[in-house]
Amino acid sequence: MPSASQSPRSTTRRAFVAAVGALGVGALAACSAPGGSAGVSSAEAVPSAVSTTLGSQAVTLELYDGQGLKPLDDALIAAFTKKHPTVTITPTYDPDNVTTQNQPRQLASPTPPDLVRVISVTAGTKNNLLTNLDKYAEAYGWDALPASQLAQFRAENGVAGSGSLYAKASGFTMTGLYYNKALATKVGMSTPPTTLAELTGYMDKAKAQGLTPMVVHNKEGGGVFPFQLLLNTLMGPEKVSQWVFNAPDATIDDPAGLEAATTVMQWQKAGYFPESVNAVDATAADALFASNKGLFFPWGNWDAGNLDTTMPNQVGFFPFPAAKDGASPAAMSDAATAFGIPAKSAHKDAAAAFLNFLSSDEARQIAVDAGFMPSGTSEQQAPTIKDGSVLADVTTAFATVSEAGGQVPFVQNATAGINNRAWNPESQLLYGGRETPEQFVKNVQAKYEEELGR
Amino acid sequence: MSTVDGLAGPAAVAEAELQAERRAPRRRRAGGAGSRRRARWAGWWFALPALVMYVVFELYPIVTAVQYSFYDWDGINLSTPVGLDNYVRVFTEPQLLSSIVHAFILVIFFSVVPVLLALVIASIVREIRSAVAGGLARTLLFLPQIIPGAAAAIAWTWMYAPDGAVNQGLRAFGLDALARPWLGDFTWALPAVGIIGTWLATGLCTLLLMSGIGKIDTSLYEAAQLDGANRMQQFRNVTLPGLRQEIGVCVTITIIAALASFDVVYMSTQGGPGYSTQVPGVQVYQLAFTENRIGQSSAVAVVLSLIVLAVILPLQRLFRER
Repeated sequence: MPSASQSPRSTTRRAFVAAVGALGVGALAACSAPGGSAGVSSAEAVPSAVSTTLGSQAVTLELYDGQGLKPLDDALIAAFTKKHPTVTITPTYDPDNVTTQNQPRQLASPTPPDLVRVISVTAGTKNNLLTNLDKYAEAYGWDALPASQLAQFRAENGVAGSGSLYAKASGFTMTGLYYNKALATKVGMSTPPTTLAELTGYMDKAKAQGLTPMVVHNKEGGGVFPFQLLLNTLMGPEKVSQWVFNAPDATIDDPAGLEAATTVMQWQKAGYFPESVNAVDATAADALFASNKGLFFPWGNWDAGNLDTTMPNQVGFFPFPAAKDGASPAAMSDAATAFGIPAKSAHKDAAAAFLNFLSSDEARQIAVDAGFMPSGTSEQQAPTIKDGSVLADVTTAFATVSEAGGQVPFVQNATAGINNRAWNPESQLLYGGRETPEQFVKNVQAKYEEELGR
Repeated sequence: MSTVDGLAGPAAVAEAELQAERRAPRRRRAGGAGSRRRARWAGWWFALPALVMYVVFELYPIVTAVQYSFYDWDGINLSTPVGLDNYVRVFTEPQLLSSIVHAFILVIFFSVVPVLLALVIASIVREIRSAVAGGLARTLLFLPQIIPGAAAAIAWTWMYAPDGAVNQGLRAFGLDALARPWLGDFTWALPAVGIIGTWLATGLCTLLLMSGIGKIDTSLYEAAQLDGANRMQQFRNVTLPGLRQEIGVCVTITIIAALASFDVVYMSTQGGPGYSTQVPGVQVYQLAFTENRIGQSSAVAVVLSLIVLAVILPLQRLFRER
């Protein structure tokens, strides 16, 4: 029976051959370098003729955004299409964290949507994937908007912040300090502080009364908020923005950055932040603030609706005070969604009409109703907001900051990996007393440069 | 084939079989090697669907991951070959290297402790004579196994919170000095994450070992008892050798879970505070999906796979039945 004893061995051998063959097929299929050329001719990206009138022909636009913005987008779409019945807009929503990964794929697709959430302007302009909006800006007069409302969506030679315009926002976020009105009275604060010294004074009094002076949560990196609020005023909005926009030679490893980090460390040592700040997450911080034990809460507009519900008429909001006399207010404030038009879109005029609509009085009211700050000029009619709501305070603060040119992008958005790789862990080390302010700014800067290949 | 030569029903089947049998030797004589080859290949047709899935969803991704690891690629645009750079960084970047060390520390909590605990628990449960109590013990022990790691991590995060159940318990016993924000503490975060793993793995190991004990011939215990062996000696000389294979399975599964851990760590700490609970599994995810560094992520994944193999293969040899 030679065949019987041979058979298992040859089966094994054959299985082996099959496996190697399969691997070989895989290897062959994969042997070309990964990634295709996603480039588009620059002619497509820079329209030669633009029109601000919509023809009588029916147009269907596809829109791509994150799930969290659905209520805002749906309301904007309804209002816009009511005004322009020839236009139909079909939205697609992905979970918000997925949009970060999908945006480049959406743009690089042979049939991209006509309106796309732009998260990184520089990534979008890399291969001429986004339409240059300069001609539309000129035709519609978008230049009348405060410069800081558009600066974040400009790019030139791979650096954001200036150059041609590539997107327009449906509304903005706004950050600053919420405060508990009852506790403010207890520490003798009748009006929001306008200087850093005043702010520190109130925190000292709050600490003496057994309160948590500043409700900061740093389990997921919320500890970067106080740092950047200080950085904005110590370094100036211009330079902070340059850093986020990856301008050559931009650095936070300088006296201003060091002073901001040192102040955070001093506040931590003085006991201004919650005990175990590194274990507190956003939900726990909300609960702590709502328990009437925290005086200040550095956070943003996205929490205003929640605070108006849980603590009606008990909360106020003001922009972070200036560190130096005469410095104008600044705050982290980026787009709810910045919409851009992919270069391959066939309906650029209609898409641009939608972008123009985003700063109309009607759209401004929709943005505020959804809890965002409106895009537009100070001459425009102010959106109506319920009196006494904290959102009214936030909107007032935004108008002040926007007019002063103090809108700054979040430092967490400087590079794709900076938040995970640097801000989160390094701020935890700083708050935990495991790192000096010098090491903090040095390490973050080193990661930043490494990621940018400098 | 319902009628053959006018026959119907079972009779027809029987007749057909008979004819086939009569024909078969003839064919074998005539066909020889050809038919044998056909018969041997026939098995592969049954395996084909599974094989296709395996090649498409297992082998192909492995091959591409290895390929990507030699490139600098953001996942969209053109890639640049960088040779072994991505691998060099795995072993030179302190944070990547320390994450590998953390994975090995987790082995203590995900594997060593659960297996030892399970041995003790299984030997105790073996002694339980009551069917109800035995069943209850099994159910309770197996409960963590039906809960996804991510959900367990969230539940434990609440328990570890500054005012969570763990600290409340410590304070109730007057151990206020020990209470701390466990997951936010640089020294205690990694052991705290490890204990979540211990909780998840102990039930499975216990159940596996209990079924193993069930297979041990009871006459061995009787013989040991007659020889005057006490409980400890019975455990060392009967139970332990009898469980060799089951322990091997437990150790293998839990070590892989420890080295490749992702869900528990990601949901409870995301690698923090600082870098104190960073593990390779979370690194692979963050590199690929938040930093768009597909090449570097693939290199970490390949190194992780090799480490798992390097640890598991010698263990397999060790636990093989002699």
